[in-house]
Amino acid sequence: MDPTNTRISAELERKMDEAISHYPADRKRSASMPLLHLWQEEFGFISDAGVQWIAAKLELQPINILELVTFYPMFRQASAGKTHIRVCRTLSCAMAGSYQVMEKASAAAGIVRKHDDKGVHTPISLSKDGKYSIEFVECLASCGTAPVCMVQDELIENVQPAAASALLTNNQSPITKNRLPHPLEHRLIFQNIGRKDWTTDIDCYLRGGGYEQLKKAVKMSRTEIVNEVKTSGLRGRGGAGFPCGVKWSFIKADEKKPVYLICNADESEPGTFKDRYILHEDPHQLLEGILISCFALNAKTAYIYIRGEFPEGAQILERAIEEARAKNFLGRDMLGTGFDVEVYIHRGAGAYICGEETGLIESLEGKRAYPRIKPPYFPAVLGLYMCPTIVNNVETLCHVKHIIEMGGGKYAQLGRPNNTGTRIVCVSGDVQRPGYFEIEVGAVTMGQLIYDMAGGPRHGRTIKAVIPGGSSAKVLRGDERFKLKLKQSDGSMAEQEVSLFEIPMDFDSLAAAGSMAGSGGVIVLDDSRDMVWTLNNINEFYAHESCGQCTPCREGSLWMQKITDRMLLGGGVVQDPDTLKTVADNIAGRTICAFGEACAWPTQSFVEKFREEFTARSQKPIPPPMPPEYTSGELIDHAKIETMPLARNPGREETATAGTI
Amino acid sequence: MSDQVSAPPQMVNVQINGVWHEFPKGTRVIEACEKAGSYVPRYCYHKKLSSPGNCRMCLIEMGLPKMGPDRKPELGPDGKPLINWMPRPQISCAQDVSEGMGVRTDSPLAVECRKGVMEFLLINHPLDCPICDQAGECRLQEFSVEYGSAESRFLENKVKKPKNIELGPRVTLDDERCILCSRCIRFCQEVAQDDVLGFVDRGSHSVLTAHPGKRLENNYSLNTVDICPVGALTSSDFRFQMRVWFLKETKSFCTSCATGCNTIIGTREDVIYRQTPRENDAVNSCWMCDYGRLNFGYLQSEKRLLQPEILSGDKLIPAEWSVAITHAAVQLKHFSGWEIAILASGRMTNEELWLTSQLAKTLGVESIDIVPRHGPADNILLSADRNPNTNGARLLGVTSQPGARLPEIVQGVASGRIKALVALGENPIEIGLTVAQITALPAFIAMNILANDSTPAATALLPSFGFAEKRGSMINGKGRLQRLNRAVRGPGQARDDWEILRDLIQACSGRNGIYSIEDVFRQMSESVPQFAGLSLSKIGDLGVQILENAGSPA
Repeated sequence: MDPTNTRISAELERKMDEAISHYPADRKRSASMPLLHLWQEEFGFISDAGVQWIAAKLELQPINILELVTFYPMFRQASAGKTHIRVCRTLSCAMAGSYQVMEKASAAAGIVRKHDDKGVHTPISLSKDGKYSIEFVECLASCGTAPVCMVQDELIENVQPAAASALLTNNQSPITKNRLPHPLEHRLIFQNIGRKDWTTDIDCYLRGGGYEQLKKAVKMSRTEIVNEVKTSGLRGRGGAGFPCGVKWSFIKADEKKPVYLICNADESEPGTFKDRYILHEDPHQLLEGILISCFALNAKTAYIYIRGEFPEGAQILERAIEEARAKNFLGRDMLGTGFDVEVYIHRGAGAYICGEETGLIESLEGKRAYPRIKPPYFPAVLGLYMCPTIVNNVETLCHVKHIIEMGGGKYAQLGRPNNTGTRIVCVSGDVQRPGYFEIEVGAVTMGQLIYDMAGGPRHGRTIKAVIPGGSSAKVLRGDERFKLKLKQSDGSMAEQEVSLFEIPMDFDSLAAAGSMAGSGGVIVLDDSRDMVWTLNNINEFYAHESCGQCTPCREGSLWMQKITDRMLLGGGVVQDPDTLKTVADNIAGRTICAFGEACAWPTQSFVEKFREEFTARSQKPIPPPMPPEYTSGELIDHAKIETMPLARNPGREETATAGTI
Repeated sequence: MSDQVSAPPQMVNVQINGVWHEFPKGTRVIEACEKAGSYVPRYCYHKKLSSPGNCRMCLIEMGLPKMGPDRKPELGPDGKPLINWMPRPQISCAQDVSEGMGVRTDSPLAVECRKGVMEFLLINHPLDCPICDQAGECRLQEFSVEYGSAESRFLENKVKKPKNIELGPRVTLDDERCILCSRCIRFCQEVAQDDVLGFVDRGSHSVLTAHPGKRLENNYSLNTVDICPVGALTSSDFRFQMRVWFLKETKSFCTSCATGCNTIIGTREDVIYRQTPRENDAVNSCWMCDYGRLNFGYLQSEKRLLQPEILSGDKLIPAEWSVAITHAAVQLKHFSGWEIAILASGRMTNEELWLTSQLAKTLGVESIDIVPRHGPADNILLSADRNPNTNGARLLGVTSQPGARLPEIVQGVASGRIKALVALGENPIEIGLTVAQITALPAFIAMNILANDSTPAATALLPSFGFAEKRGSMINGKGRLQRLNRAVRGPGQARDDWEILRDLIQACSGRNGIYSIEDVFRQMSESVPQFAGLSLSKIGDLGVQILENAGSPA
């Protein structure tokens, strides 16, 4: 096919040229994903002609584009229905009934779901009349309003399975505004979130004192700002908790190469849904934080990498950037300082791994989001385009604004030593009032958070387990006891045995309890939950999201899922708990990026802490010596040979291209 | 500047498995371990390509010097730095050694890591080694011996992937065998400069592929087969032709252009099955082009000349070698030197060219030249000069400017001045002579491997050997003297070219004294200073640079 034969509208080509202009002239490849988004918006899917056309436009090989289309699940190679429904299947939504939602919605739309997918992505199922299509997707980052769906580009919250058919008419309530802050909260970042009188336009933001901190910051020296951030003790809110000021100080003051700031808005750790609200309800707060940080780091270009499932958020941010430009908060000679700064939006397309900073950078460079090896590719040295790059989470960058406002020292008085400031904690799962809560770090215990703030378990239920920092954090048992060093009433520190509910919600205490504060996503599981089922749901997420670059994670994540699949279907064998554990042990610490730990920790902790449930599901003696694939189909049909039940509908495993050896 | 260039590399001390070694700064840890005798298994790492660190097979324990409060390394009782071992294993393929670094390649953790990776690599990999074409030279098999398990713990269905895919005209792919190491992708990007391969899909379902509109068809595609550590990429030409453990390997070099890429010829019972590149950083790194690699089939062609023949009456009849040589000599002696032309070849070895020049001297021939051969160069390995030994022909005086004397020869034949033509491995029709002109010659002595249009016009036909059937040396385009080794025996009655030429010289001159090819080389080295002090055995497997700044003739 000759790509030059493909005709596209002048308007589309103009949009594409505009997108290309957001990246350095010799880095056109970065525009691959924006162009794919534009193509899909125009034509509904990415045809081979599209692949070739975009490759030619960006002076790339067609394989470079094909690699992306197949990596990012939001890009389709076939048309979807007129109304396309995405149902979240990740833990909190699954617990709230998203599988029933899928069934009911499919039935209402007359869709028979296919199970014969061959590849990694759950296939889109289309109704016969082409009116509707539906697919399962991984976490949509709205676990507090589970179960959620997206109909076209709109998020539908709290979808009751019984009312799932209403999805087709798309007349559900739009995003709900949250209630007033709980008395135990300390709102800094979320001051304006959920306020009925708060809008996303710049005038509203300015009325509330917006951009005053930027004006203050540009009068400070760069070193002063970095020092304030250092003094504040701010730790990254994305998951790893790395001190932000230390990260910033890796950038040399006399750096010759361009410095980039990237805002990681690829929020996708299951159980986490804080950035969503900042992006959708208070974009200027983020923008102000980014601009202060750009000034401090001498970064003339910032990219906001926003997950593809936030199309509305991307639009809101685009508008916010234009509003800020009109007031000279960004652009040439920002606020008369002589400093030129640009902020661009870069949309992801449904890959959790883009939350890993080097994976994100690769994705931003227009490649598959394969995380880089460290050493040598530490972003602060060899980041975007091999230039020094700082990647910060949305919430972290918002904190920068408040650190400038309060001063680093004052900010550091919030929270606890080494765990300063406030942070947003998201509670989902089996609680009566799931949602977000901004707390002073460590000022609230797990018990206060779950019982007082989130309303405690449903009636008649007790809490069996808590995943405290996003689904990759190690699970903690409800009846577990922990030995922690805690501040006593007289101010001294002493080791003390505490229950799960007495653990303060801070980085160090949760780490001492053997888990982590992670991204602040607390998932509560009550005594109705089957832990094998729960782990299986988590395993499916990680198997789907593994980028496939390095061996242990690529092979191990799917293997763990297949084992728990089989256990759920009654095929568990006595070795399974040990196999699960050793597979996880062989992944953690041996992969290119932290995804290895993220996918191994759930398995390690679930099997260790709920051994009895895993043992109960693995009662079969030693399995037949040969797996079914080595057994003749005929004998299996006649039930003469006992085989393992298949993990799931084996369709995806069944056929490949016909061939010999 | 010159001082810096000649300065010895800075050395750093590295402890490997408890023993301190010195390595030049900039050495990769994995290479240092290999030099120290502790080979670290690897799949994705290839020393000529970038390091993605994706296979995780080369995980080792690593440590850096323990720093005291004075920020200087703390020393142990042996005076060497104490090592602060990192808690997590590190890949050894992406880091350079540094002063005071510690490495453990055989610790329980390192071994456990490799066992873990081996298990992961094999769970979805077909275990049908007996019928896999890679068997015998498969890195999975190799490292399974040390780090594999006899029994699989994997009870699930394997991921199914496409098989038997024609990735291009010469390479076949089995995605189920692919371990996604990305060597082939990186080779295409970094060496072949043809970014055609990539991964599609994600996670455990990732597959290697090319876009259907742009396949793997560059002239270096078969190198991907060489560097594929498993049976995923196979040569469509070689696959399932022969089990590799039956192949006899002979070190040689490619004679398809002036580059002279070093090779290994794989043979069994005098049949060549494949030719693969052999590492020589002075010539071809680890690579060779597909054109040269596959250019050996003619040695097994049906057109092969198998029997010396002489013209008797009006037709060629088979003859004994002694008869054929005498017949040829008698014909040549009949004419004066100016009535004879010799069409030699840039494909001949130095030894053959030397003897050719001796023959020319014996007969007093001045009309002598080689036939130049050109094709497009590619700035990678393929040279524009498609003769492997133009430099040898120049050095040995067979030509001064390749092809310059050919018009004179053509004209001489046409005018009838030249009455005897000796064509050595060349077809005179290719220089512009007609079959009629050649047929009209009173003497046309043809020594060649294959029959061609001019062969029926020969008055004496002398079947000779191909590059894989003989020993000898050539000088590549950059002035490097390299050695051919005999990989197979020549077919039928065909003879080694140097012997034919020697016998012809003897029959013409009556002189004797050469019994072996070493004698030829010795004579040559006594007369040509560039060969002084050398012998065939001294050339070695990697050759010797004998001409400085030798440019390949355009």
